[in-house]
Amino acid sequence: MAGKYVHQSILRLEDPELITGNVQFLDDIELPGMLHAAFKRSDYAHARIKSIDVSEARKLPGVIGVYTAEDFGDYIKPGPLQVPPPTAIKGATYVARTTMPIAKDKVRFAGEPVAIVIAESRYIAEDACDLIYVDYEPLEAVVDLEKALQPGSPLVHEDLPSNEAGHVRQERGSWEEAVKEADLVIKRKFFINRNAGAAMENRGIIVQWDKHAKQMTIWCGTQSVIALRNQTAARLGLFESQVRVITPNTGGGFGPKINTSLPDDVLITYLAMKLDRPIKWVEDRRENFLATTSERDQVHYCELAVKRDGTIVGLKDFFYHNTGAYNPYMMTVPLNSQTHTVTNYRVPNFLTEFYVVFTNQMIVTPVRGAGRQYGVFVMERMLDAAARELGMSPVEIRRKNLLPANAYPYYTSIIGQDFVEGVLDSGDYPTSFQKTLELIEYDKFVNEVQPKLRAQGKKVGIGVACFSEGTGVGPYEGARVTVGGNGKVVVTTGYTSQGQAHYTTFAQIVADQLGVDVKDVKVITGDTGYFGWGAGTFASRGITVAGTATHLAAQKVRQKALKLASKILEAPEEELELADGVVRVADIPSKFISLGDLANLANPMRGTMEPGAEPGLEAVAYYGPPYGATGAGAVGLIIEVDPETMQVSLEKMAFVHDCGTPVNPMVVDGQIHGGIQMGIGDAFYEELIYDENGQLVTASFMDYLFPQATDMPKKLVLGHMETPSPLNPLGIKGVGEAGAIPIPSVFVQAVENALQETGVEFDRDTLSPSRIFTYVQQAKGA
Amino acid sequence: MAQTVKINVTVNGKQYEREVEPRLLLSDFIRHDLGLTGTHVGCEHGLCGACTVLMDGEAVRSCTIFAVQADGHEIQTVESLGTPDNLHPIQQAFIEKHALQCGFCTPGFLMTLVDYLGDNPNPTEEEIREAIDGNFCRCTGYFNIIEAVKLAAQKMASH
Amino acid sequence: MKLEGEHVFNGPREAVWEMFYDPEVLASALPGTQKLEMVAENEYEGAMNVRIGPVSGSFTGKLVISDVVEPESCTLTVDGRGTPGFAKGVGRVQFIDQGDGTTLMKYEGEMNIGGALASVGQRMIDSVAKTMIRQAFEVLDKALEARLAAKASGSEVVDFKPPSETEFAAAVAKDMAGGLTKIPEVRLLMYIIPLVAVLVLLAVLFRGCSG
Repeated sequence: MAGKYVHQSILRLEDPELITGNVQFLDDIELPGMLHAAFKRSDYAHARIKSIDVSEARKLPGVIGVYTAEDFGDYIKPGPLQVPPPTAIKGATYVARTTMPIAKDKVRFAGEPVAIVIAESRYIAEDACDLIYVDYEPLEAVVDLEKALQPGSPLVHEDLPSNEAGHVRQERGSWEEAVKEADLVIKRKFFINRNAGAAMENRGIIVQWDKHAKQMTIWCGTQSVIALRNQTAARLGLFESQVRVITPNTGGGFGPKINTSLPDDVLITYLAMKLDRPIKWVEDRRENFLATTSERDQVHYCELAVKRDGTIVGLKDFFYHNTGAYNPYMMTVPLNSQTHTVTNYRVPNFLTEFYVVFTNQMIVTPVRGAGRQYGVFVMERMLDAAARELGMSPVEIRRKNLLPANAYPYYTSIIGQDFVEGVLDSGDYPTSFQKTLELIEYDKFVNEVQPKLRAQGKKVGIGVACFSEGTGVGPYEGARVTVGGNGKVVVTTGYTSQGQAHYTTFAQIVADQLGVDVKDVKVITGDTGYFGWGAGTFASRGITVAGTATHLAAQKVRQKALKLASKILEAPEEELELADGVVRVADIPSKFISLGDLANLANPMRGTMEPGAEPGLEAVAYYGPPYGATGAGAVGLIIEVDPETMQVSLEKMAFVHDCGTPVNPMVVDGQIHGGIQMGIGDAFYEELIYDENGQLVTASFMDYLFPQATDMPKKLVLGHMETPSPLNPLGIKGVGEAGAIPIPSVFVQAVENALQETGVEFDRDTLSPSRIFTYVQQAKGA
Repeated sequence: MAQTVKINVTVNGKQYEREVEPRLLLSDFIRHDLGLTGTHVGCEHGLCGACTVLMDGEAVRSCTIFAVQADGHEIQTVESLGTPDNLHPIQQAFIEKHALQCGFCTPGFLMTLVDYLGDNPNPTEEEIREAIDGNFCRCTGYFNIIEAVKLAAQKMASH
Repeated sequence: MKLEGEHVFNGPREAVWEMFYDPEVLASALPGTQKLEMVAENEYEGAMNVRIGPVSGSFTGKLVISDVVEPESCTLTVDGRGTPGFAKGVGRVQFIDQGDGTTLMKYEGEMNIGGALASVGQRMIDSVAKTMIRQAFEVLDKALEARLAAKASGSEVVDFKPPSETEFAAAVAKDMAGGLTKIPEVRLLMYIIPLVAVLVLLAVLFRGCSG
């Protein structure tokens, strides 16, 4: 559905202020009397705290206070769950060990805070941290997922019988039957490592307590203002209305900023009240790697049952998921892996089972993709393995099994992170796959280009992969649309922004409904002072869920405007139109009233109003879908591997994507681009490595290799398709994570293709040159 | 208390005289002492480029320079490039090509490019990639930034 | 992290052993040492300041010597903790009389590090450690030479001036990186050297034996 603005690539309204440095990010905010916080963090991954000596730190000039768990007393307890437990999944078992705001008696990951310093400047606060002496009794660290579950393993949580944090088993059809029916059962093991969100802006928080008004204001680049507000209020014994959470401009989220009840927001809110001075905390990059959540390790044992002709009969995926030292985010990530394993292909029998394991490492919560890319990785890799054994091409075997365009709505029988059965709402995978093959010129490459280059000794390769992305999940979001006396419109929502153009896209949606110039629509996101309901920014649900709520609210305002204007202009509603900031009779444009005047008339200063009427031109609407809308697509990649250094260069990438109706195509492309960068990092460079003592050894950009401009494909072609979602009036699907999802799969396939004469097969992602070299040597030796 | 040193720094054409601790980073000086918060800090170890400013016309990383090292020098930050009503051609190009999303890394790119395009007004795509290789971006994947640089070069050439 | 290697000293084994027994020599070979004292038989405690660019602070270390076979070999266990993190290691040291007036020292050990040191310094530590040891041996070679010279001339004063912290770090940086020091990021990493050297040498050289 296209209006004047929706489906147009409007330049972003927020850009002129943003690009001139005129806006505030968190650390730009200065408040009078503001103090600074720093955390003393554990050097050990697993240790008992024997004593903490803060006496010297307390004496340092400029230090206001140094606090350990002891100083907070009962206030220190494990935080609330960030997501509800998976009770909807039959047979699921779990334990909840949520984040401790500060270590008490024991540290469970390297980087866990053991003390907090409040000082006049950050420099002094960090100086004081150096004067805190902690006496640890080191314990053996739990780092290997499979060893962690063996009897006799040290326990991360000693009150539990084991390191098992959860177990989920879901099945559709029957795997056992599938094995009987199959001609061939292929088995593989995969390892997928941990990655960081690594937003360019590190996390931080500023808290101010007004003791006269009894009002707390929190500035935080959080992805969930309402959760932060509610949890803070509950903890401090305040009304929710006494706590206001404001998101300043936020420099990227990507997942880790969704967490609340973290050491910073738990302790600093308390101390701001106690010390009666505003307190700011901003983490540095090392802390971000060390003590902000990251995502994954998973170890997968897979079996694919196929017929000789490549038809899939069944898939079994058994895996371990590393949740780190605490599990406040429960099973969102592994559930996403489960649900996305078989959402592109016809897999009549599917058995998926995972164990969540505690380790002495940082807590795991979603990072762009949130586990989806590993469901996809499993399926794509198994298809490649099957294709290899059956002598089929990767294209053939995929074509054979892709869900057809008439399969929708497709009921997956697998329950996902939103605790309902995953239903694929719409899509056309065969077409997006075909389009990808055309854009990457697959046949030409395989038949002409590749043989010619290989004859010259160039190791070029090609890969293709399909993916889907569950987006726009519930529970709900809301928005308020208000026409002001000046005829301009304000949109407020509890949803938060980290750069994904909400200020423009939501304005586009509203401008279409109300017939105003998109520049006259001001969007305010992530400020509980304006809007206090919502779940948060995650799972690519902004434009789908919050955007739809905005649309519905705008529609309501439109109806109100028409109704009132009809009376004032004495013309039936059907003859009226909203355009150019006025309501007018379509055939008699001189008969009009401006929206501003209409808004004022709708709010009489005196007199009476009709019973049931609401003042002003304002409406609130909420939208919650029954299940998520599924975006999907495919990707093709041509690479070249240097035969000596094993350095991979990305020559060309073709990415076809279907996100239903694109509200702003330029913004959609931008989201895909960004996702591709993270996918390439995932596939190629990025790895959070913990040593056998649980020490994170990649805690800076020197060691955590972040993709740069020269690492991107030399040529990128995007293709678009639009199969609108039937779940919302605009037909929108989310796209935020799409770019990241299929890249590891296609990358690995392309490298194998480039090095096919070695017979190398990769059982993991993050194929750095040295890793490729090692695998190739092993394959040659085998 | 802490030992301080008097420094004289010109920032965006304005002269500042301040007492600073020797260990104060230039990025902190610019952002907190002078209130010019357009320059951002992404990593504090000189790799991400978000803190890039111009020192005597050359792009430098303000997070690995001390304020005292800027004594007697001229600094230019993103605030010197343009205003919302009067954008620098590079800024205009970035907006037109959707080369920024969260905007956190952008000032660093802009200052790097002001320096680079000043010396290389007509770069090839490969040269552009190399030039911005020291600036990290997590949102855009760099594709649109590269297009923006091409457009910026055109805009600046026609001025 | 595994550490192993060997070095030939230009002197008889007894002289080498005696030199290692002298805490002043050892302390001077490790710039930044604040104190080094024997707290019990075969147990030493030391404290040192370390300045390493992004990572700096003070370290306290405990060294325990065991399995002493004078003047041949012993085992050193080191436990160092401080603001930049911690380092724990075990090393076995052997002194072999080569029969030609020189002594071959062999060492083999393992080190576990943690904290900021591990998370930020990881990549450099292996190669840095080896270079540091090499540099430290050069210092000790000179110290041995001075000792032997003093002995030969019968003078009391041992004419040896240990390098300062900065000189030491600079020498290591130069040795290790050559042209690499031109790159700012790498220059930053160069400062991790002193700390690692200190820790490594703590493990290997902090010893004195009973007698």
